[in-house]
Amino acid sequence: MIRFIDVYKRFGAREILKGVSLDVDEGQILFIIGKSGAGKSVLIKHLVGLLRPDAGRIIFEGQDITRFKERDFYPLRKRCGMVFQHSTLFDSMTLIENVALPIRKHQGLSQRESLAQAAGYLEAVGMEQMASARVTDIGDGLRKRVAIARALTLSPRYMIFDEPTTALDPLSALRIDRLIRQLSDERGVTSIVISHDLRSVFSVADRVVMLYQGRVQLDGAPEDFRRSVDPIIHQFVNGLPDGPMEL
Amino acid sequence: MNALLSGLETLGGLALFIGSTLRAALRPRLDAFELWRILHRVGVRSLPIVIITAVFAGAIAALQVGTYVVKFRAYEVVGWGFGYAVFRELGPLLIGLMFSGRVGANHTAELGTMRVTEQIDALRALAIDPIHYLILPRVLSMIVMMTLLNAVGDLFALLGGMATAWGLIHVDPWVFWNSFIEYVKLGDFLNGMIKANAFGAAIGLLSCGFGMQVTGGAPGVGRAVNASVMASAVAIFFLDWLITAVLR
Repeated sequence: MIRFIDVYKRFGAREILKGVSLDVDEGQILFIIGKSGAGKSVLIKHLVGLLRPDAGRIIFEGQDITRFKERDFYPLRKRCGMVFQHSTLFDSMTLIENVALPIRKHQGLSQRESLAQAAGYLEAVGMEQMASARVTDIGDGLRKRVAIARALTLSPRYMIFDEPTTALDPLSALRIDRLIRQLSDERGVTSIVISHDLRSVFSVADRVVMLYQGRVQLDGAPEDFRRSVDPIIHQFVNGLPDGPMEL
Repeated sequence: MNALLSGLETLGGLALFIGSTLRAALRPRLDAFELWRILHRVGVRSLPIVIITAVFAGAIAALQVGTYVVKFRAYEVVGWGFGYAVFRELGPLLIGLMFSGRVGANHTAELGTMRVTEQIDALRALAIDPIHYLILPRVLSMIVMMTLLNAVGDLFALLGGMATAWGLIHVDPWVFWNSFIEYVKLGDFLNGMIKANAFGAAIGLLSCGFGMQVTGGAPGVGRAVNASVMASAVAIFFLDWLITAVLR
């Protein structure tokens, strides 16, 4: 279980998180939604130590990680696969080399053995035909799939997806959604998904949390979210120009 | 005031980065595959530019020395004058500056781009320490290759010097060679090698340090490359002065 307790984060004069509290249960697919700049990515980066909170606590599997040093985070990061918003594949490498890198580093295998294993992970996301392609030669949807394959090499118990379907065509988005569902159903992976994509939210999420102005605005099932009479949520779900949220 | 604060922030960031790198170097977990890749990129691909620089450095030194050698008919010191100037000073200095412009700037741009596109964060998220994986191989490669390339450069500078002395001021290559062997000592060669070693370390730390501190997207990468090349040049001249003063 993961717990964020009253987390605050500020960048200069901008206060991004203003006391976010949130629990993530085992095996769940939790979607965190909200307007751009609501602090969704900032919040999840705290979980793997890419950002540190100004105040509040973060508990990971019963362990308080709030004051962890950089090196303390490495064992935790092996249990949390992260797929970044822009995939962040290493563009000096081919797709298969990207996937092979964590295998080589963490399993002590040679480059040749790592590449052989990496091929299996690429196959799992339907990318085995493009193994030797350069990162710059493929589009966003394919990059996302390779980034998922790379994160899966850690055999993580938790997966963090930062806007996995943003800017993807509907079919590519559907494929990513299915992968997320599959991970939860077949491997019991707990997923935290940052998304603006309401279609994904209603088709994949077990639970939805909406952040607004650095605080949790709603925490519930997708149906609670859909039926909410809260004017902020109503405006967000329906994409209305008028309401309490500024465009 | 803002510029001063920004400058101090960069200096502080560099100091912290150099501290982390040196601490990591005490217990290095080098990735042999990455180290080999960087050694090849830094060393082999720099060879042509180093050879060209060295040949011209040798040729220029031979011309400068040769003017006075001919004037005073002091042919027996032509090799000494050339060797002393090139091995101790011109060779490491010019190769260092070329190396900084080619390899250092490349590393700053590459690491800076990785930083602004979150590839460094992606490495950390994969539980791979960027200092051990990216920085140590680069700094080590710069030290090793700058030293080796300086030795290769010395050889080509000698050839360039002999050829120029023979072709333009008609100094017989054997006279040049005998004078060189007679008067240029191992210490002159080692002096240049020590300088090359120190220049490699400085270029490595500064170029990687500026790359890892990039903020502000593509313009930030451009600024970092500029700052890295300038800082490396200043460091090269400062270290040259310091080592010359200490080893004189």
